[in-house]
Amino acid sequence: MGRIQFDHLTKQFGETVAVEDLTFDIEDSEFLVLVGPSGCGKSTTLRMLAGLETPTSGDLYIADEHMNYRVPQNRDIAMVFQDYALYPHMTIRENIRFGLEEEPGYTEAERDERVEDVAETLGIDDLLDRKPGELSGGQQQRVALGRAIVRDPEVFLMDEPLANLDAKLRTQMRTELQRLQEELDVTTVYVTHNQTEAMTMGDRIAVLNDGRLQQVGEPLELYHAPENQFVAGFIGEPMMNFLHGDRSEEGFVGEYIEYPFDERLERAVGDAADLVLGIRPEAIDVRHAGESASQSLGPHEFRMTVTVTETHGDQNVVTLTHAEDEASHDTIRAVTDGMHIVNAGESVIVTVEPDAVHVFDGETGEALCNRRLETARELTI
Amino acid sequence: MSQSTSDTNIDVASVVEDVNLRRIGHYTIVILFLGFFLLPLITGIMTALKTSTAVANTLPFMPPLGDGFTLANLEYAFNRLSYAFVNSLLMAIPATIINVLLASMAAFGLTMVRWRGQMGILVLFLIGIFVPYQAVLVPLARFWNNIFPIADMLEPVFSVVPLIQGYHSALVPLIITHVAYGIPICMLLFRSYYQSLPNSLVEAAKIDGASITKIYRRIILPISKPMFGVVFIYQFTQIYNEFLFSFTLVTSANSSEAPITLIIPTIGTSTSGIDFGIRMAAAFLAALPTIILYVAFAEQFAKGLETESA
Amino acid sequence: MTTHDTTETTESAVDPSEEGIDWQTKLRYFLNSDFVRSSPYWGIPFIIMGIAVYGGIGYNLAISFTDYAGIARPSFSSLDLEMYRRALADESFRAAAFQNFVLLVGFTSISLGLGLFLAVLLDYGIRYKETIQTIYLLPMALSFVVTAQLWLWMYSPGNGVLNIFVTALGFDSIDWLGDPRIALAAVIFALVWQFSGYAMVVFLAGLQSLPDDQFEAAKVDGASTTKTYVRIIVPQLKQASVGAAVVLMLFALKAFDFLYAITGNYRPPNGTDILATLMVREAFQYGQWAYGAAIATMLLLLSLAVIAPYLIFQHRQGSL
Repeated sequence: MGRIQFDHLTKQFGETVAVEDLTFDIEDSEFLVLVGPSGCGKSTTLRMLAGLETPTSGDLYIADEHMNYRVPQNRDIAMVFQDYALYPHMTIRENIRFGLEEEPGYTEAERDERVEDVAETLGIDDLLDRKPGELSGGQQQRVALGRAIVRDPEVFLMDEPLANLDAKLRTQMRTELQRLQEELDVTTVYVTHNQTEAMTMGDRIAVLNDGRLQQVGEPLELYHAPENQFVAGFIGEPMMNFLHGDRSEEGFVGEYIEYPFDERLERAVGDAADLVLGIRPEAIDVRHAGESASQSLGPHEFRMTVTVTETHGDQNVVTLTHAEDEASHDTIRAVTDGMHIVNAGESVIVTVEPDAVHVFDGETGEALCNRRLETARELTI
Repeated sequence: MSQSTSDTNIDVASVVEDVNLRRIGHYTIVILFLGFFLLPLITGIMTALKTSTAVANTLPFMPPLGDGFTLANLEYAFNRLSYAFVNSLLMAIPATIINVLLASMAAFGLTMVRWRGQMGILVLFLIGIFVPYQAVLVPLARFWNNIFPIADMLEPVFSVVPLIQGYHSALVPLIITHVAYGIPICMLLFRSYYQSLPNSLVEAAKIDGASITKIYRRIILPISKPMFGVVFIYQFTQIYNEFLFSFTLVTSANSSEAPITLIIPTIGTSTSGIDFGIRMAAAFLAALPTIILYVAFAEQFAKGLETESA
Repeated sequence: MTTHDTTETTESAVDPSEEGIDWQTKLRYFLNSDFVRSSPYWGIPFIIMGIAVYGGIGYNLAISFTDYAGIARPSFSSLDLEMYRRALADESFRAAAFQNFVLLVGFTSISLGLGLFLAVLLDYGIRYKETIQTIYLLPMALSFVVTAQLWLWMYSPGNGVLNIFVTALGFDSIDWLGDPRIALAAVIFALVWQFSGYAMVVFLAGLQSLPDDQFEAAKVDGASTTKTYVRIIVPQLKQASVGAAVVLMLFALKAFDFLYAITGNYRPPNGTDILATLMVREAFQYGQWAYGAAIATMLLLLSLAVIAPYLIFQHRQGSL
């Protein structure tokens, strides 16, 4: 079956290490998203899977068979490219049929029939006799998918397949891709730099940075229990707020903000000296400061000033800075309800509950403590 | 230029005038250069159509008038050159076809598949473009005359093949020579084109299970049809116009296998000097095929030249 | 397939170790690899070209060390640099080398300058641009041989067009190609006529590849058209200039055809002898094969001196 194993997989291009010591498994019929910033090695990983690059060291298995040196055509895979890579001089029918020509076990008539079937599944059966140049981006995308599906492979590889579509079409295709994958029940490896795509589509997500695997897990696991600061910052939009500071008697001391730890945090942080406080924007409660400026604040409350408010309709993204922080060092962003409007220049009171705080080691970036979840499923690392 | 005059009419008029003067100057220069580039050609054509008296007594670039006009020069040149024209085509067409095919294959092999050491091979090809032919002329002459006289070997075969003559076998070493030395430049032209194709096209085909040969035949060849046109026109012109190889490998301008370029520098010469009417007529006829090709495919020709230097 | 000290016994079924793959499998993978499969494509043309170009150069070099002359066979028993010494001592070799240099530099720089001028002329909004470009480039389609005939007639001391102009202006008629002091300049002029269109096309392509907004930005900044070209556009044509210059120089090195075709004789007009004509004359007229080969080797070195910096430049730019 289409189980994929990476075993200490490394790829170097001359001096540069594109992928370093990658080890993890992808289960049969799983939808795995490889995500990371550009140059993180996600595409190289995919290309090694496809057989377009040969690993420098380590091993690669698809369906328990060693793949390192095998040519693409013997891997039982199909790939969708970012630019679709349709053959411009062939009709859509010929494009889809091309990959089937080398597949054994079909008669000519069966091949033709298979092309028709696939085209119908994708709703492009009326386009079969056109050339790729005459098709819209969305239609070309479907043809590219059709070309992958037609061979009924063990594994689908997708390299940013939605990147060239406009926003609306992208959302639509996202849903369709998921439906298709579920229907065909094929192991899928999907590369993207877009964390929204990763969160919404993947059964599991593998985050890469600088050629190294940061974390593999289910979307919510990555969101709520990131193993390190990179994952915490990469997953989630707007991005998690990070405050840099040191350990003090009571807890955390930043340049302008002090945050006392509760018992849970105290225990988890231990005696690490250099700390980064991570707070998700939606975990920040913002309320109007009210009339009296001398109003007493709780230990986890701060007085801050709104510098920018972005209204999205359903929600507002509020940028806040400490009143005395003129250089905007410790700027944080909070998400508030769409109806809850605060204006730039306004003074507000910000509450951050200790349960919602992540703490990272300032030197290594490793998570010392992740937020507590209210649900029964408690995720602690 | 932003004067704030109250009378806008005057302002507009002066601007128009200014632009017009500049434009007129601009176009005058353009037309002067048209004259510069066309004058030798027009002079040549006009002279070809004149009797020797008219050549001596009228302005060379003026059209022939009255009994100064004659087609005798062209007729003479045509009779004298027709067999050489056939020789040139028999040489240039097969050489160009083989050349273009081999060059396209080489460019495909060097761009579509990446491997270490490729750069070394590529540099060797590139240097091949820039080697002056003089540097291989002595070996070339020795090789085809003494070491491997393929022309003599093939002569009996050629004399029994219909439509061609025994002496045409002398064109075979010329064809091979042109193919060998033409590969580098044509390879470069194809290579720059193949590099502009997206990599994913070949990768997609690989994943679709196509072999290297299938990728070449089914994907690359059909896609590069326009480039084949460009390279074909470019290389045909080069080989048809070439002089030095023919000069060294063909016995003399009087041999029956002499290509057309070999004959032009001697035609119309007599003890009393050069008959320019005949000389120009011959030059015009010799240049005609490439001029026609050039005018018909000006765009491709220019494109070939652009890539050559890039 | 020996099981070694790994604790993960599950992995032994699909042994990942290097020893797990025997050499036959590796060989099969190698023979299947793109490298092997694609090698005939570049390999066959490479062998043909390699024998012709590098075999030829090597053989030529070998001959240049011998005393090969006349109808005898070359003897490789005693090799020396005699022919090179002879060339360097030969007055006509030095003259040819000097004239070659003048031709190279003069022709290349004038063609580049004129080509750039023409490119800017046509780039700056003009009607019938395509047609005009085609005409400017027309001489490029001609062979050296034909160009030589046209200019032989233009330069004719009797009724040639140039002398008609010269006499109309009240001067004495000039023997353009017969006077050794101006013959080389006349040859350069004719070659510029043939090839400046080429430089123009290269520069035009360079100009057109520049984004329009640079022009517009300069206009918004209030720069005049001339200033825009001189200060902003032309400096960006470095790549195009280098490419065009190299190709033009190689045309100049191959000017043999032109010079031969002017006289229809091994000896070009006085004062225009270059290494290429000298080499062919020595070898093919006088049968001085070894001497000709030595001159050819030096001509080759000259070409390589032109091309090597260019290749290095291209390599640095990453555009190879």
